[in-house]
Amino acid sequence: MSDIIEPCKNELNLYFDNAATSWPKPETVYRAAEKQMRQVCGNPGRSGHTRTLEADRLIYRTREAVAKLFNVTDPARIIFALNATDALNIALKGFLKKGDHVLYTAMEHNSVLRPLGRLQREGLITATMIPCSIKGYPDLDFLEDAYHCETSLLVINHASNVTGSIAPLEEMLKSAKERNVSVLIDAAQTAGSQMINAAALEIDMIAFTGHKSLLGPTGTGGLYVRPGLELTPLREGGTGSQSEIDRHPESMPERLEAGTLNNSGLAGLLEGLKFIEETGIDKIRDHEQKIRAYLYEQLQEVPALKIYGPDSSEPASTVISFTINNVDSGEIGYILESSYGILCRTGLHCAPLAHKAINTFPEGTVRLSPGYFTTIADIDYLVDALKDITAHVAE
Amino acid sequence: MAYSCYITFPTTFYAIRAESILKQESTAFKMVPVPRTISSSCGTALRCSCDEIGKIKYTLLQNELELEGFYRLKEEGLKTPTVEELDLNE
Repeated sequence: MSDIIEPCKNELNLYFDNAATSWPKPETVYRAAEKQMRQVCGNPGRSGHTRTLEADRLIYRTREAVAKLFNVTDPARIIFALNATDALNIALKGFLKKGDHVLYTAMEHNSVLRPLGRLQREGLITATMIPCSIKGYPDLDFLEDAYHCETSLLVINHASNVTGSIAPLEEMLKSAKERNVSVLIDAAQTAGSQMINAAALEIDMIAFTGHKSLLGPTGTGGLYVRPGLELTPLREGGTGSQSEIDRHPESMPERLEAGTLNNSGLAGLLEGLKFIEETGIDKIRDHEQKIRAYLYEQLQEVPALKIYGPDSSEPASTVISFTINNVDSGEIGYILESSYGILCRTGLHCAPLAHKAINTFPEGTVRLSPGYFTTIADIDYLVDALKDITAHVAE
Repeated sequence: MAYSCYITFPTTFYAIRAESILKQESTAFKMVPVPRTISSSCGTALRCSCDEIGKIKYTLLQNELELEGFYRLKEEGLKTPTVEELDLNE
C-alpha cells in the first residue's frame, strides 16, 4: 500500500470526520462483512439453496433491526438502497407528481437540493425553501405561511452536516400533519445516534445511511415508507420472484428494490445495528453530546477561531464548524493532517444553502465531527494543535 | 406412498418472514426450493406435514403474511410427483 498512498507526515490519524463516514467501526462489523463474502455469498432471493437462504435470512434480520431502530412494526416497510442520497432520490422521485409543491429547509444537503432542482427545471414541481437562522434552525413562522394548496411534501434535514443543528421534528411534523402534507426526514446524520420514533411521530418517510452513525460499511442505506404510502419505483428489474412477468412486483420491500443487494455491506450493517442496540441509543447520544459540549467549550479558548452553529446547550449532533480569520479552510485542514495527523473535512460539505444561512458561503468552513469512539484526550490534542496553528496565523 | 405439503409465497421477503415466525412455534417445517411441478412467484417454498398445513396457514395469516398457494405432492420415488392444489378454505 505504501507505494500507492502517500504516507502522512504525522501518522497519528486522529479521526474527526464521522459526519462523512464513521471510523472506527465495531470489530464485529469488519468480521461480518468479510464472513458474508467469504463463507455465505449466496444471492438473496435468486436460488433455493442453502447459501441463498442464509443470505435471505441476513437481509431479513437487517430489515428487522432497522425497523426496530425506528419503532416500525412491519420490516417490509424498510427498503435498502446504496446510501442516503439514493434513498432520498427514491423517495422524492417516487412520491412527487406533476404539479406538486415541496417545502424544504435551507440546511438540506445536495442529495435533496439536486433532485428537487432537476424536478423544478423540468417543470414538474415547484418548491419553497424554509430559511434557517444563523445557528442553522428552520424558521417555523416562515413555515406556517409557506404552504400552498398544492403542497404535498415537507423535507426536513434532521441534523445539519455543516452546523450539527437538529431540526425541531415534532413541531414541524405537527405543522405538516395539520395540513395533510407528507413528511420526508433526511436522517443521514442522525440515524443511530438520535432516537427517531417513526410510529409515534407518524413520519411518512425516513432516508438513512448505513455508514455513519449506524457504524456499517459504505454502500448501505435505505428508506422507511409508512404503511399505506406506495411510491412509484425509481428502478425496476430482477428480484428473484415473479420472473415470468414483465411487471416489477408491487409488494414491499421488493417494490422499491431491484438487482442484487449489497450482502456483505448489509452483514456489516447488521452488526453496527446490534452494537447500537446493545450499547443503547440514549447512551450513545449522551456520550456524543458530552463530547460535543467539551469540544465546543475548548474551542472557545482558541484565539481567532470563530465557531458556527449551535452552542453547547442547544440541540445538535456532534458536528462543529469553524473558521480562523481569513485563512482558507482547506489550508487549515491540510495543516491539521500533515503536521498533526488530524483528519477532518473542509469546504462547503455539499450543502451550499446551509453555508449561505450561516454566512460562510462560498468560502466554507473547517468541520469537526467526533464520534462515539472519540475521547477527551483526542479533543485535547486537537485543541492544542489549533492553538499552535492560530499562534502561527497571528505571527 | 408419501405425501408432503407446500406453501408458496409472492416474494422472498414473505418466505423468510414465515420462517422467522414459525421458528418461534413448535412446528416442524423446512424451507426448500420450489418443486418444478409447482408454479410459484418466489423460488423458496415451505414444506411441512399435511397434518400441520392448516395450523401453519392460520399462524402465518394471523401475522399478516402474504401467501400465494397451498399444495399436496404425492411422491413416488424418482417419478415426477403428482400435484394437488389445496383449497384450505374448505
